[in-house]
Amino acid sequence: MLEKPIGGEKRVFMTGNEVVAWAALAAEADIMYGYPITPQNEVMHYWTRLAPKYGRSFLQTEDEISAGFTTCGGVLSGKRAFTATAGPGNILMQESMTMAEMMRIPTVLVVQQRGGPSTATVIYSQQEVTMTCFGGNGEGLRIVYSTCSHQELYDYTIKAFNVAWKYRFPVFVLGDGYQAKMRESLKMYDPATKGIKMVETQPSLGLAGVPGVDREPSHLRNTYNTEEELCEVVTNLVKEYNKVVPEVVEYETFETEVAEIVLLGHGIVTRAAQAAVKTLREQGIKVGHFRPITIHPFAADELRAICKHAKKLIVIESAQGQFERIVKEAIYGESVPMESYFKPGQGVTGEEIVEYVKKGL
Amino acid sequence: MIVKLIISENFLEHVCETGMFFCLHRLNISKVSYNTNTMQINSWGIKQRIAEAYIGEYASGKSEMAVNRALYLLHNGFTPVTLVDLDLVEPFYTLRPIKVQLEVEGLEVIAWETADTLGLGEAGNILKPGMRWALKKEGSVIFDVGYGIDGANKTRLLEGAGELKIYVVVNIARPMTGDVMRIVEYVQSLGRVDGLINNSHLGDDTDLEIINEGVEVVTEAAKKFGLPVIWTAVEEKFAEQIGDYDKKGNPVFFLKRRMQHTFW
Repeated sequence: MLEKPIGGEKRVFMTGNEVVAWAALAAEADIMYGYPITPQNEVMHYWTRLAPKYGRSFLQTEDEISAGFTTCGGVLSGKRAFTATAGPGNILMQESMTMAEMMRIPTVLVVQQRGGPSTATVIYSQQEVTMTCFGGNGEGLRIVYSTCSHQELYDYTIKAFNVAWKYRFPVFVLGDGYQAKMRESLKMYDPATKGIKMVETQPSLGLAGVPGVDREPSHLRNTYNTEEELCEVVTNLVKEYNKVVPEVVEYETFETEVAEIVLLGHGIVTRAAQAAVKTLREQGIKVGHFRPITIHPFAADELRAICKHAKKLIVIESAQGQFERIVKEAIYGESVPMESYFKPGQGVTGEEIVEYVKKGL
Repeated sequence: MIVKLIISENFLEHVCETGMFFCLHRLNISKVSYNTNTMQINSWGIKQRIAEAYIGEYASGKSEMAVNRALYLLHNGFTPVTLVDLDLVEPFYTLRPIKVQLEVEGLEVIAWETADTLGLGEAGNILKPGMRWALKKEGSVIFDVGYGIDGANKTRLLEGAGELKIYVVVNIARPMTGDVMRIVEYVQSLGRVDGLINNSHLGDDTDLEIINEGVEVVTEAAKKFGLPVIWTAVEEKFAEQIGDYDKKGNPVFFLKRRMQHTFW
């Protein structure tokens, strides 16, 4: 038997992309399908260096359309399969991921966001929010974790596999170029030592026995010929998804209980927001911060509760309002004033949030 | 006259190679003490050229080491000092954010600038001509060889690479080089290597435990190759706790972190 990639717990220092590769190993992922694109390349580079040592597989496909569909195929054959991409690759994978939604294929896709439109920069942005949450000709029946640190990249990559296989909806880990490339320390661990049991995988095809005699036939479909039929299937699918939402939704708050101003930010921007809250609180300014961890589905009720006592919300993001749209939909009807601090494609620092908040006092 | 000469082991080796040893004798230098961090040979007017390339696993601390080493040489008279950002995979990122600052401080930096890269994006995979010829420059030349897995191979692109000392930067907090066996396996894949540098750390969470574990592991790995541990590199704030030599007797190089201002 091959040794476990990580025994017990280990303090390490690495880049976010490597973290993803190690987390997938620790999560007992069987295979990665992938096509290179910056800034996620090292997910593949490290997976391909590590996988053979632990009896895992890798397939480099001819493009991201194929990487997405082969991931679906791997999952249908009962493999814990995943892929990783960014920007234009994410666009190409939307077709397969919407198919995965419709067919309840538990794929895992790690996205390291880069700038857009189109190819733009390879460095950083939060411009893949709309696409990752709602891309494709579907209803966005997926779970998207927006991480903020290497520890979270590790934790949520492992969790993504379990949530996908438990609920059978595609799960996305939404990082960004900064998280992909920056270095910081984290604790890697064998999930078993934390009481995390990996959900067993099941093949959807090639099952034992004669279909219709020994077992129900597995009837896999992604084509619906009439509008009525599609409507019925999607409506039921949405019901199933909505049932899952309360079980998977995650968020974090920082001093929001008695906050007059609440900063809203997700992903790596939460780190700037948290720093700003600390500084402003020290100066006696009543500021809090709300951060969705599942950016989709969104913790709408929890944010609504905050809206009841807050005097102002400030949405902060490295995009031109993609996150703000999700917020607006979530708290539709609330009367709290809302401001925005958008820097499409550029990082946000704690200092500039402090400055912005103080200017508005 | 007794002259106290403080000199590094590494340098001594170089002295022997270059025949400068003879000069030292002529100066009647009888007592030699080793300390890498206070190399003062230039007080006697001996112009020493240092040419080193830093290689290592992705995010091992190569750039931090290279930048600090270049600044050290600059401030200790091994001038002029040229720092080369030899990353051919993602050539436009590593030192770019701090290039101008380093130039202000007095280094010559051969790396791409934002304006040069306009329109190239990630597609550009090119060697800046100045990099190829950097070793023909006067003074000291330090190469930060980006993107680890190629090892020393990239130095083949340089004119006059034979004189380069090639040092592998190792951080045992990186699982790929996390123990003796893995370091050995890794170093074997790199081609010609002249020494290891123990740069074991956890970024902001670094403590003595990880540094000292690194000392043990890297020293043992180096022994397997008969290679020296050139330095244990630690942040300046650990100076008092560690001293000039680590517990295995390797010299300590004190780092000031510069790469926090970059992101690649």
